Amino acid sequence: MRALSLFWLAAALSAGADDTFLIRGAVIHPVSGPSIENASLLVQDGKIADIGLKIVVAKGIKVIEGKGLHVYPGMIDSATEVGMSEIGSVRETADVSELGDFKPQLRAAIAVNPSSEHIPVIRANGITAAMALPGGGVIAGQASLMYLDGWTWEEMTMRRDAAMVLSFPAINTFSFSFTEGVVRGSYTDAKRNYDRRMKQLREYFESARRYQKAKAAGGPGFKTDLALEAMLPVLEGKVPLMVSAVRERAIRDALAWAEKERVRIVLTGVRKPGNTLADLKAKNIPVICGPTQALPMEEDDSYDAAFSLPAELHRAGVKFAFGSFGNQFSRNLPYQAATAVAFGLPYEEALKSVTLYPAQIWGVDQIMGSIDKGKSADLMITDGDPLEVKTQLKRLFIRGREVDLESRHTKLYKKYLARP
Amino acid sequence: MKNRLFVLCLTGWLSLAGRALAETPPVVAIKNARIVTVSGPVIAKGTVVIRNGLIEAVGDSVQEPADAWVINGEGLTVYPGLIDALSTWGLPGAQSQTASPSGRRGFVPEDPAPAPTPAPPGRPTTLTTPSAPPARGPEDRPYNTSFLLAADQLDPADRRLESARGAGFTGAVCFPNRGIFAGQGAVINLAGQRAGSMVVQSPAGLYLTLRGGGSFGGGFPGSLMGVIAYIRQIYLDADHYQKAKELYAASPLGNKRPDYDKTLEGVLAAPRVLMPAQDPKEIARMLRFAGELKLKAVLYGVHEGYRAADILSKYDAAVLVNLRWPEKSRDADPEAEDSFRMLELRDKAPSTPAALAKAGVKFAFYLGGLDRSSDIARSVRRSLDAGLPQAAAVRALTLGPAEIFGVADRLGSIEKGKIANLIVTSGELFQEKTEVKYVFVDGVKFEPSPEAPPALTEVSR
Repeated sequence: MRALSLFWLAAALSAGADDTFLIRGAVIHPVSGPSIENASLLVQDGKIADIGLKIVVAKGIKVIEGKGLHVYPGMIDSATEVGMSEIGSVRETADVSELGDFKPQLRAAIAVNPSSEHIPVIRANGITAAMALPGGGVIAGQASLMYLDGWTWEEMTMRRDAAMVLSFPAINTFSFSFTEGVVRGSYTDAKRNYDRRMKQLREYFESARRYQKAKAAGGPGFKTDLALEAMLPVLEGKVPLMVSAVRERAIRDALAWAEKERVRIVLTGVRKPGNTLADLKAKNIPVICGPTQALPMEEDDSYDAAFSLPAELHRAGVKFAFGSFGNQFSRNLPYQAATAVAFGLPYEEALKSVTLYPAQIWGVDQIMGSIDKGKSADLMITDGDPLEVKTQLKRLFIRGREVDLESRHTKLYKKYLARP
Repeated sequence: MKNRLFVLCLTGWLSLAGRALAETPPVVAIKNARIVTVSGPVIAKGTVVIRNGLIEAVGDSVQEPADAWVINGEGLTVYPGLIDALSTWGLPGAQSQTASPSGRRGFVPEDPAPAPTPAPPGRPTTLTTPSAPPARGPEDRPYNTSFLLAADQLDPADRRLESARGAGFTGAVCFPNRGIFAGQGAVINLAGQRAGSMVVQSPAGLYLTLRGGGSFGGGFPGSLMGVIAYIRQIYLDADHYQKAKELYAASPLGNKRPDYDKTLEGVLAAPRVLMPAQDPKEIARMLRFAGELKLKAVLYGVHEGYRAADILSKYDAAVLVNLRWPEKSRDADPEAEDSFRMLELRDKAPSTPAALAKAGVKFAFYLGGLDRSSDIARSVRRSLDAGLPQAAAVRALTLGPAEIFGVADRLGSIEKGKIANLIVTSGELFQEKTEVKYVFVDGVKFEPSPEAPPALTEVSR
């Protein structure tokens, strides 16, 4: 009797639960395949249970009428400071970087504030997950893939160690001063500095390898080291290194280094890849594109250098995803992709590079990135193309749970609308 | 080993030969030489007579005096001694000069200069502690050492003087060069028993830079707009200071005396102001600025002057052109690409003197840290190749600077009564094969060693 009533209770909960519902009669854009007109989508327990023209469901299940609306998978921002920094210039609210050069044991997830005012703002544009990147030093720590919904950082965390962030040494002869502008300095000094930092990096990886061997050998003398422990998944190829490299030389160096160290890398911050594209393709190295809405790096660069870089990567067959490398401006992620479309990137590729491709790059494409059976129900319902600025986001679901679209922006909007 | 000893002896002997021959007779005649007077026509064959450090006579029919030490000038050419119009020769404590790759600066500090902030009035000045707190505003007078006189800081033992003479230079206009209001220059001769005997004219002008505290921790001013605003404020303050002093001098009774301010005293004492400007925008800005502040401005740098000859002639400005043309640094990143703008500047900067000469702009050359005789000649040749007449190039290193600094009645040409600063060369100046045979400074003869010793290079690199 008691068991029976519990069963009924569970059933009732399930039927009325937030994360079980049916979207009916909408245009569904799975991204992984062609769009389906006038289709239905069943979400059960936060997962996508079925997609089809006609889905029969039990009575009592919540139904969302999707007539005239579009369903897309939620977008993924591949590089942000979301939740780690509230106001950049107020030190107390910024928890992005730690002191020291090598700190692989740091995890960005822990620093993410679930109550950050930026999160609702970003979500309101259809972004459901973001990589939170730690900064500072050579190895900054672990980047964490976060759902943009949850009461605690633990709840938000999708993958704590989605990548290890490495600021790759580069020979930089530029310096800037307010009275002189950009000044070029000594190459010899820059090279010496670079050599020193490369040596440090090599030595660090060597010590991580020695630690790996010592751990495998076991024995009474073995002492656990948190930092080197965190390097093990990197050495084993389970976690990719997110390597920043802007120009051709740095990219070449990073590729050669990664090959030598036998580690998996994802390039970030690429601006002037030069002749390295074929290599990137051949070695199957993905790239996280920074904001396309950016100025050219040097005065003689073409005005559209940043706008057309994604199309260039696409033509070369390099896999890439977009990252905002920012905080509140993460909300512009769809428009960064859209700008690339205006400069030669096929539309489907642009959409994939904010949904399916990041999921693949971060190794979570079994779980998110497209509308497919079994994946997490990270969905947005819109009145049109999400890369289009005019498009309105109607509803947003993360892991099947509907998310409030109210944000600081809408609150301010309402406040000033009501001004007498 | 033997060889090395020999070389050592030889160099020792050569550098001895390069020093002053203290027993130069008071009367010297150079006869049968080609004489480039600069102020007048070239004398194909003539005689120059030097007596007691002055030019006693020059001409094609001048007879050498009976008491004269005669130099046979057959096949040789006599020029007025060259003058570096903006220099630190004789000032061993000055920052070394290097050309800025960006072309923004005349002189470049090798390391950030300590902020020479004079202590606020009322507090004792502690010259030995450079750790004054960063300036907060113009009232702290940051980077203002306008009261420094180059003439007070001269060191006749500066090793660079010797190689400068070897390159044919007998004079220079030297400036302290740290800070924004760096200090007062002096026209000097590049030899003398004592510092005092080297000075021809002091003060010769105030050297201004736009070099503030940079960004962090340098204090006010940390930006270009801050520097400009600061310079403007200093001139307003100086004006007020002068009026207050005059009022007080007229009637001290019942009036409060104005505080003494050495930074403004220096500003008021300057007969002219040297201001940096490279491109047409900066040139126009500086000329307007100088007009607003009622300053007699001399612009220096001016590498992009080939595009600004019209503005310069409109304002009737005097210009010091940096002979150290912009070049790719030897220590540049081999993979860095230079902008088209930079490439164009490198290509066209040497055409600036020709453009200025054509437009009738008064200009002089300065070396901008060039030190080897061959480098200087090569730099001048580049402007000759770009269309500058030889005579104009000679003038820009002799009478040109003398006129700009108001000493044309004493220096810069071979005329009766002028200071006997002369050089005798084996041929036309700036040509590759031409050697400087004799140098006369104040009538004292120096014989440069065949190729200038590398002393200069050591000091200023």
